Amino acid sequence: MKDLVIRNLSKTYFDAYAGTQVTAVRDISLSVAEGDFISIVGPSGCGKSTILNMIAGFIPHSSGEILVGGKPVKGPGRDRGVVFQSFALFPWRTVLENVAFGPKMRGVGRAEREKIAHEYLALAKLSEAAGRYPNELSGGMQQRVGVVRALANEPDVLLMDEPFASVDAQTRMTLQEELTRIWEAKRPTVIFITHDVAEAVFLANRVVALSKGRVLDEIAVDLPRPRVWDELNEDDRFKSMTGRVLQLVRSA
Amino acid sequence: MTEFPLKLWGHYVRLTARWPSIGSLAPFLPVIAAWWIVTELQIFPRVFLPGPGEVVRSFGSLVYTGILPEYLQDSLVRLVVGAFWGVAIGVPLGILIGLSPRAHSALWPPLLFFQAIGDIAWLPILVIWFGYGLVTVTVVIVYTVIFPVIINTVLGVRSIPITLHRAALSLGASRARMIWEVILPGALPNIMTGMRNGLGYGWRALIATEIIVGTSGIGFMMFDARRAGSVVEILLGMIILGILWYIVDSWILAPVERATGQRWGLVTR
Repeated sequence: MKDLVIRNLSKTYFDAYAGTQVTAVRDISLSVAEGDFISIVGPSGCGKSTILNMIAGFIPHSSGEILVGGKPVKGPGRDRGVVFQSFALFPWRTVLENVAFGPKMRGVGRAEREKIAHEYLALAKLSEAAGRYPNELSGGMQQRVGVVRALANEPDVLLMDEPFASVDAQTRMTLQEELTRIWEAKRPTVIFITHDVAEAVFLANRVVALSKGRVLDEIAVDLPRPRVWDELNEDDRFKSMTGRVLQLVRSA
Repeated sequence: MTEFPLKLWGHYVRLTARWPSIGSLAPFLPVIAAWWIVTELQIFPRVFLPGPGEVVRSFGSLVYTGILPEYLQDSLVRLVVGAFWGVAIGVPLGILIGLSPRAHSALWPPLLFFQAIGDIAWLPILVIWFGYGLVTVTVVIVYTVIFPVIINTVLGVRSIPITLHRAALSLGASRARMIWEVILPGALPNIMTGMRNGLGYGWRALIATEIIVGTSGIGFMMFDARRAGSVVEILLGMIILGILWYIVDSWILAPVERATGQRWGLVTR
């Protein structure tokens, strides 16, 4: 695990249909310490997914720099694991093979990579599903696979792009609790993108509020862990914190 | 009185559950029965339309003399050789065109141009170039198989969600490995569709080619029978074409499709 530093990051592109230059992300600076968990929250179109795609190396940035462990980002790489909103599991691979995919790509032998995969599947309580195809699992289970597939490759930074936005509300709460549990067990550096303010506060050590491509403010979340919805739902500090972030995001 | 047909139906359902091939034969029974009745009533002269019994007898004697097995083998070998090259060239080309915009803009227009010149339209010039032989037949089949394979492969490659590319890259897959790990399996259901269409067209083109340039094969047998005025053998040839295609499709292509695309949820049942 390594730290992530973003300096004066901007993204502008030319909209050929409108014939104008569009700025999606404007001069953002951010630093995430090793083993930290931050959420980036904002309404749709605020540029949060663009930021994540630039960190992942899926799209180039226009100016500024992105450093992972001091090294500048050039394209996608296995030092940055990604969890997608659409899960993006390989439909033609079993759950076990999906999780073993990263180790396979870096040349780990079959027995060893399956051992790694089994270990991570157990962490997400997925051992039973190892031999099944993604298509045969519920959405919530598919995304558990998505999370451990990224983690099994031991990335320096884990990038999560609204990973729980397409599962039902009850499953989402379970997944959120499980994510905090897994994070405490493995302590990866996490950047979590979401439009859900309560989710952002529940998960993170720090919430970055974003609007129209700019950082509005950063709010430290010093709620005790392990975090459980049953307790936090009634917690006054949690309520006031989500209230503050919500106000911030809505006012901009 | 209503119980009897229901009971009969129950027997039929159990029977076809045990031997599914009976279920696929059943739809042909009325056709054969109608054919038999028409010939028995002597609506058309026997020489123009022989009955099922005569066709079966002709099948028996052609098998006995060894002509039919030999011709069948010739036709199938030609189809397999042609289909092999069609797929071996078509799939890599389809992947190239699907992945590279440059390859697409360079190859797509000629592809459409040559697709429009039907396989049979090549025969006159192919006969001049390669004569009445296996080369001409193979070229025609490759030509027929390759277009549906290329076009469906391109479609398959392009329909792979971008997130799957991204997921593989961020898990450390190299560009070369992407082809084997993501592109090929992702495009496989479409490649299968292309092969299915290609083989179907190829089979038809083969028979047409054999009629024109052949010296053996099912198509040649049918055309030769016309010269001899033997309608029985023409009908036999037609029936064999249908049965063979049914076997290729339901014993080879369909099981592969069930084991891949359907299992993965990429194709709806």
